Amino acid sequence: MDIFLQQTVNALALGGTYALLALGLAVVFSIMGLINFAHGELMTIAGYVLMYCGIAGVSFVVAVPLALMASVIAAVLMERIAFRPVRNGSGATMLVTSFAVAMILQVLFQNLISTRSQPVLLPAMLSDSVHIAGMVIGVNKLAAIVATIVMLVFLDWFMKHQKTGIAMRAAAEDFAVARLMGIRANTVIAGAFALSGLLAGVAAVLWVSQRASVDPLMGFMPVLKAFIAAILGGLGSLRGAVAGGFLLGFIEIYLSAFLPPEMQEFREPIGLGIVVLVLLFRPNGLIPSATLKAEKV
Amino acid sequence: MQPLLSAHDLHVSYGAVKAVRGVNFEIRQGEIVAFLGANGAGKSSIMNAITGLVPTSSGQVTFEGRDITGAAPETLAPSGLTLSPEGRRVFGTLSVADNLRMGAFALNDKAALETAYKRVYDLFPILQERKDQYAGTLSGGQQQMLAVGRALMSNPRVLLLDEPSLGLAPLIVDQIFDLILKLRDQGVTLLVVEQNVAKTLQVADRAYVLVNGAVVEQGKPAELTASGTMQDAYLGAN
Amino acid sequence: MKKLLTLTTIGALLAAPSFADTLRIGAATAQTGGLAPYDAPVMEGIHIAIDEINAAGGIGGTTKIELIEKDVRSDAAQTSIAVQELVDTGVSALILPCDADPSLAAIGIVSSAEIPAISTCASSPTLPMIGGDYMFANFPGDNVQATVSAAWAQEQGHDTAYIIYSPDSQYTTMPLYFAEVFEKMGGTVLGQDTHSIGQQDFSAIATRIAALPEQPDVIMTSSYEPDFPSMLKALRSAGVTSQMIGSDGIDSPTTFSLGEAGEGVVFTTAGYAEEGSPLEAFNAKYKETTGKDSETVFNAVGYDLIKVIEAAVLAADGSTDPKALRDAIANLENVQGATSAITYKGTDGMPVRQVSLIRVKDAGREFLGSPSPDAALIPAPRMQ
Repeated sequence: MDIFLQQTVNALALGGTYALLALGLAVVFSIMGLINFAHGELMTIAGYVLMYCGIAGVSFVVAVPLALMASVIAAVLMERIAFRPVRNGSGATMLVTSFAVAMILQVLFQNLISTRSQPVLLPAMLSDSVHIAGMVIGVNKLAAIVATIVMLVFLDWFMKHQKTGIAMRAAAEDFAVARLMGIRANTVIAGAFALSGLLAGVAAVLWVSQRASVDPLMGFMPVLKAFIAAILGGLGSLRGAVAGGFLLGFIEIYLSAFLPPEMQEFREPIGLGIVVLVLLFRPNGLIPSATLKAEKV
Repeated sequence: MQPLLSAHDLHVSYGAVKAVRGVNFEIRQGEIVAFLGANGAGKSSIMNAITGLVPTSSGQVTFEGRDITGAAPETLAPSGLTLSPEGRRVFGTLSVADNLRMGAFALNDKAALETAYKRVYDLFPILQERKDQYAGTLSGGQQQMLAVGRALMSNPRVLLLDEPSLGLAPLIVDQIFDLILKLRDQGVTLLVVEQNVAKTLQVADRAYVLVNGAVVEQGKPAELTASGTMQDAYLGAN
Repeated sequence: MKKLLTLTTIGALLAAPSFADTLRIGAATAQTGGLAPYDAPVMEGIHIAIDEINAAGGIGGTTKIELIEKDVRSDAAQTSIAVQELVDTGVSALILPCDADPSLAAIGIVSSAEIPAISTCASSPTLPMIGGDYMFANFPGDNVQATVSAAWAQEQGHDTAYIIYSPDSQYTTMPLYFAEVFEKMGGTVLGQDTHSIGQQDFSAIATRIAALPEQPDVIMTSSYEPDFPSMLKALRSAGVTSQMIGSDGIDSPTTFSLGEAGEGVVFTTAGYAEEGSPLEAFNAKYKETTGKDSETVFNAVGYDLIKVIEAAVLAADGSTDPKALRDAIANLENVQGATSAITYKGTDGMPVRQVSLIRVKDAGREFLGSPSPDAALIPAPRMQ
């Protein structure tokens, strides 16, 4: 068994999940300059839908689309209720709003559902593994890789060939002029949130199928990773988000796999150090957004 | 005849700075009207206030008899009024064709869309040649053509052109002014803000001279040239 | 004569236990945030115990318990603020969060106010060591749990082990105690891996273990949700079949919902509801009062905590004086709680309690026993 190849498959699966998460943040950021820290709570909502479906005996095949729907609807509602009123506020106002939304949702989950982690029943198949070319690959790893490819192809098609997608790219580049063209701000922003909700939902299914439980604070860690990946790739750039997600996945897996045992304890700082190093050479990220440039002071 | 586009006592402020102070103007069907004045005279602010890009502090803007003061920018293009903004501001990461598609965002009818493309490609054949190219890779003149073409996609009755010839080579500048006349012949009413006073006065039917956010004089090009106000406006003799 | 009689009466009055009307207890626990999954069920058990005692007229039939609760949001600074507020209201005993770090954040206030404080379920043996005379724990220590599970592994004939731990918290370093005992008993530790709490992806570690020249008989970890299920599933799907040993942190419904991957996992915890046991009785009472099944032993652990305070008040002859209560707690022996008999006498505040071994079988619990660990094997608390 080629251990390097095997670890690369692991890195692809993790990187793909990070890419989907970072894309979710980037889609919204590119259009309204908001880093939505409540993105993780969209995942939690999708996770709870999976949990309730499991309890109700709904098949996983039906539960997944329901979970995706729930996070899309939640994302659109989030925009309508929380972010639309502060849309013209400063970046800081929107950022704080997103923290507030995240915390309110967490407390609601704790009070209305449970403070405790809730098990999610998953099809046994997801814990299986298949043998491909001498490698043992977990079904959930394969699912993560396939889901990432499907989502990236879908997103590429949507952004390039759908009127709404093109309008979102136009709005990301120059919102004022986009509006002059008759592109409705509400439509584009709601569209961006719906897309981010869909991405959060897909990521949630992959995330939950690994951990087999949901808890009220589940969203924090993934949104943090997504944030790092988005910065690494170039904040506001969709291609950058994908590149950043994959790079972060590769950094984490390769460090975990090949760092000498006595240095494993410092894996996280080393990983973040590499991220900082990349940003030192590419201050705007791997693939910077065309319109948002960090200024050197 | 009722004016197509008019403003009454229009004021625009950026914080404490008053950019436009009580401007009145009227533009009639089929006219080419120019706003002239030094940098900071308030020309672009008026354009932006008309299209809702900056808020109006007070006053009223009327288009085809409807009050459009403070209307959301996205409602104007579908109703027949649009702006080709200063600095061109094409969507650089979109293809030329997609830029044009966005210009006709409200248009869903396939045939109407084809007509709109054809009109723009007829006016600017170079855009058709480059339709799959990213707009950001076009030359300045081509980008200006794209900006105007994009505005034309919504088939406007009134087109606002903000500094269309700024930064372009002399040969291209001539093309732009030819275009202005050509558009008028196609039935488009034009409101032009330009720094190229001489050329503008050659094509405009009427002009307003602005100093410090207020109209100091208006009239036909010949009258303005004769009065000498123009020189004062640009040299800041006020 | 009359004078003498009066004196005797006074003397008799002084000698008789003078029970106070109320015992005020302040609870500064995490009802929100990362520790809420543990503190919230503990508080449920605390309420059940207090209601039960008060319904019977109070401690010793006279002293009603009054509970003042504050949410510390799983935050160390907030814990110390809440504790100060509770001290100001004149509480006789304090209940602190389920983790050594926030509990220790309040230690300055606790020590200077001289009020006994009990952490709901922190299991780090260093807590009372650092915390001093007024700090008590309410859970089997990490070193004791590790000793019980290492001895069990040896008993099963497992000679080689691999440990996966997280240096992020005291609790998640329990595998280091395990390795110490396991080697002391003659076993071999083949290697170790670290992860961070909330890491989510364990595929790299799983791949590495699967590629070891010799597969370990057991893999021990004290990681808990969401890390544990991810780790276990990653190991299993990489083809690692070693016996998994965990600790009380995975005494959670998720562990029993993992299907095939979860089967056979063994872990130590604070109790098992054997037929006729106090824990079974408690669980029945829990269902009766809340209308749902107890999902976790932490409910019963909360009940235990109040039983300890009750026993201390009784031992202090009904006194609610904080200093008297501290001394009483420190000398308690064999207080019968819901999970176990609890002894503080002879310890530094880390109670001697029963540790139960549970195996996951058919998505349920299989009781493997509650062995008493060999005191000579229990490792000394390790300062991090």
